[in-house]
Amino acid sequence: MRTDRKIATGLTALVLLLAGLPVMAQEAKVPVKEVTLDNGLKLLMVVRHESPTVSGGWVAHVGSVNERPGITGIAHLFEHMMFKGTETIGTKDYSKEKPIIAHLDAIRQQMEKEYAKLRAAKRRGEIQGNIYAPENETDELKTLRAEMKKLQDQEHALIKKDELDKIYTENGASGLNAFTDYDMTTYFVTVPSNKLELWFWMESDRLLHPVFREFYSERDVVREERRMRVESDPIAKYEEQYDSMFWTSVPYHHPVIGWPSDVESISRQEADQFFATYYAPNNITVALVGDFEPEEAVTFAKKYLSRIPRGAHEPPPIVTQEIPQLEERRMSAEAETNPTVEIRWHTVPFVSKDKAAVQIMADLLNGRTGRLYKSLVESKHVASGEPYAWSRAMKYAGAFEIGAEVADGHTHQEVEDALLAEISRLQSEPVGDHELQKVKNQSLADSYRRLRSNFYLMLQLLIYDAEGDWHALNDMPGRLQAVTADDVMRVAKAYFTPTGRNVMWYSRKAGTEEDPELAALEGKARLAAKQMLAQIGQVNDPSQLQQIITKLDASKDQAPPEFKPAVELVLKRARERLEKLSSAATGKEK
Amino acid sequence: MRRLNIIAATLLILIASAGTSLSQIAKRPEQLKFPELSFTVPDAGSMRFELANGIPVYAKADTQLPLVTVTVLFRGGAYMEPAGKEGLASIAGEVWRSGGAGDRTAQQLDEDLDYLAADLSTSIGDVSGQVRLNVLSKDLDTAMPILMDVLTAPRFQADRFAKAKDDLIQEMKKRNDDSANIERREWDRLIYGDGYWINHLPTKTSVDAITDADCKSFVTSLVKAGNVVVAVAGNFEEPALKNLLDRTLGALPKETAQVPPVPQPDHVQEPGVYLIDKPDVNQGRVSVGQLGFRLGTPDEASLRVMNDILGGGGFTSRITKSVRSDKGLAYSAGSYMTFPVTYPGFFRALFQSKSRTCAGALGITMRLIRGMGEQKVSASELETAKSSFLLTFPRRFESAERTATLFAGDELLGRPHSYWTSYRQRIAAVTADDVLRVAKDDLHPDRMVILVVGNSEEILKGYPDFPDKLGDFGPIHKVPLRDPLTLAPLTEEGK
Repeated sequence: MRTDRKIATGLTALVLLLAGLPVMAQEAKVPVKEVTLDNGLKLLMVVRHESPTVSGGWVAHVGSVNERPGITGIAHLFEHMMFKGTETIGTKDYSKEKPIIAHLDAIRQQMEKEYAKLRAAKRRGEIQGNIYAPENETDELKTLRAEMKKLQDQEHALIKKDELDKIYTENGASGLNAFTDYDMTTYFVTVPSNKLELWFWMESDRLLHPVFREFYSERDVVREERRMRVESDPIAKYEEQYDSMFWTSVPYHHPVIGWPSDVESISRQEADQFFATYYAPNNITVALVGDFEPEEAVTFAKKYLSRIPRGAHEPPPIVTQEIPQLEERRMSAEAETNPTVEIRWHTVPFVSKDKAAVQIMADLLNGRTGRLYKSLVESKHVASGEPYAWSRAMKYAGAFEIGAEVADGHTHQEVEDALLAEISRLQSEPVGDHELQKVKNQSLADSYRRLRSNFYLMLQLLIYDAEGDWHALNDMPGRLQAVTADDVMRVAKAYFTPTGRNVMWYSRKAGTEEDPELAALEGKARLAAKQMLAQIGQVNDPSQLQQIITKLDASKDQAPPEFKPAVELVLKRARERLEKLSSAATGKEK
Repeated sequence: MRRLNIIAATLLILIASAGTSLSQIAKRPEQLKFPELSFTVPDAGSMRFELANGIPVYAKADTQLPLVTVTVLFRGGAYMEPAGKEGLASIAGEVWRSGGAGDRTAQQLDEDLDYLAADLSTSIGDVSGQVRLNVLSKDLDTAMPILMDVLTAPRFQADRFAKAKDDLIQEMKKRNDDSANIERREWDRLIYGDGYWINHLPTKTSVDAITDADCKSFVTSLVKAGNVVVAVAGNFEEPALKNLLDRTLGALPKETAQVPPVPQPDHVQEPGVYLIDKPDVNQGRVSVGQLGFRLGTPDEASLRVMNDILGGGGFTSRITKSVRSDKGLAYSAGSYMTFPVTYPGFFRALFQSKSRTCAGALGITMRLIRGMGEQKVSASELETAKSSFLLTFPRRFESAERTATLFAGDELLGRPHSYWTSYRQRIAAVTADDVLRVAKDDLHPDRMVILVVGNSEEILKGYPDFPDKLGDFGPIHKVPLRDPLTLAPLTEEGK
């Protein structure tokens, strides 16, 4: 228990003193028991007997921030490999499997040499597209791949498919999973409370004797994951590049899932090195939340986890700092989405003394009684939906974003101006007592809401630990209550500068817009109108557009009756565009 | 000397025990011995009481946190929307909360609830809806009258009503942006048919036709004492809670609502491949399946176990193992079955794969589906699936809120509480023969529909490593995208 007796007594006195005044609730405090093993592994425990389960997880303090060019995505690929079993689990006979794995790696190295040639050929312009596409496969690669396939079949015969998963499943575990982020790789599962020892057995086994089997097919799974999450998502593919623009030097610059070229070429040897450096017990924290006795858990921890030797070297520190941004940066994307504006600034890391004030700033802006909604939606009517603000404080740096969807009939510029006006207000006027108290009341209630599930409490402990300090779970609610109007004004001025701005404008990609007038047309007429509208959209020269309009106008009477409404629509749009082009031209001359 | 001896002896014991503790580590997890763990389903009857007007309440105390949740559940939903007013349930559900109540304007209601740090939400779903309040337990007395205002005197304030309609139309504009949304919409059309209420989706015209009076009468017609079941969970004292509820919810007039039965689908879709072109994505989304069953169908337990082995059980299931883990053809691959209480669900196997390998992965998936009806599952597969159902069952009752809401939902929709008390027994009774039988009788691979959304040109090319082509799985029907606002087909073929 971390509750300090003196503080507790002090609180009682305070409560008595305040008797008769309205009841004030205290922010949540979670009794966390912390134990560190001799090998440096840290264990965090919270006992709650409500449900006969234990949510168990651990975090390796490694994420994409620890990667270098060429192996981006390895932390995440690695997370996948940790489910492939061990020398005991997932195999019929590891001694027979081992030489096959070595052979596979040797073939893969030969294939890498071939891919290097293909990369060179692509640089010279001799081949097009993806070097891994079947069209680009050389005869040598075909042979090697066939050989690989043969070995994979041999390996397959020796594998007990996904046995790690099977053992947990048949023992009543649920939610076996993991995630990788910039600063962390986190593994977790919920087990029935009588199976705590199984959890220690399984997790210590995969930390002690992991086998990265099926490495190359799993790499393909990760490529599919990237296609799903990023490349086939209408927005995520642009957000990835926006993120990459936002972070210049700090290694949050590359995506957690990795650049596609790197994911396709990471080798098992690189994975081995990665494991040796970052998966040592001195770089790992375990969290258990649920129905168990801490003394028993400590006994199990000593028995199972103490076996893992401390790493030979401490993981190297991250030294690269984000270089100060010199000027505002902008990106605009034509995407399949509604028009949207996003503005992002660099703020503070997780452990910063200013984190609480920055969070309160986001809270003041958010929600239907928040400043963005009141201004952009209720007063100025320039945004649709609910404008948002988020603050994300990570281990080495932080970001803060506000954004909104542009309402019909309004412009990106109006939304951007309205968003920025709310930042200026926070910089120039102290926030009122009632408004500040409102967000503090919410933050206090949320400090309890966050604790409703054992699983999420376990995750929060691990995430906070990875971002800098798990004590934030208990300290942050109090720090949020202590934020003053002056604090908010100070951080608003310090971090939200014009030169530090990053602005993203999404506009709807031509041809994917909803268009009620177009949709109202019949069959062929609609198709024809759609094509003509797309062509007109490409014309940027007012005089050329004028010629088109004149021609259309002259020929419209000859059009068959079913096409008349289509021609009218096209003419109307062409005239609107002409007006816009002419006024833009006039604007430039000023 | 003696002292030294003691130290030496202690050291020896320590060393010895360290030695044994290491040697005690089991070689395999199967060798571990676990203490017994028994679980009894909480007694629904003991949580239930009735208010003066007959409203049933399921209350379960949990004093761990100073929070309390009151959920008012009611029957009725989107299936009752009149033709031409599609979207009514969703808009009414939204403006009910956002549009003010009692003597509070929308803005005052928002301010007061936010200052109180109370989460108060309203929603109307497919066949039922709810009003839910979560608040610090010290503020329950203050918040309950506000909940009552929302329940009985919603204002549907004009600006918020207009806003909800605009927002829904903004959302509708995104209908074709994400291939996942297209797939979700078209799947329901294939399974339930255009005529079924699930596919009566809002259009710009139908949203324009909805009035605030429509919302008010829709909501008012459902909030009747005879149509409501309440769940309460969290930090409360039972006498005080009963008193509070009697003064508030207990005062609702003793009326029943005219809630019609949920219509049943009668659609039969021509089997084959339904292909929707979405040229700008590099991964295809593929779904295969058929109409299924309501909850409580005699084969339910066997069907659940069957599906778990086929594709429902994650990495222990055949589809995930084969399509993802063996071949690396997908990140997400598996199957699921739904068993709604009031209308039949469906069986659906699904995956996403790069365009060129969609047909190959589909071939594997189809062979696995067929295989379920051809050969008995292994004892080990059966055991894993059944153990998982049996041992994870207690998690349905892991919090007071889950338990109270589950039991209240039973009474609301007509699912007997005994469904839960006999659940494990029914799962335990499933045999490999049962699994084979239900796969043969209830899965119809030859009559299934296959939905494919993605870059059709690439998908049709196939991949050299796999013999399968999309056309091998039945006639290919090219399905047009639909205009996001009118839902009219966007090309000639759809006419």
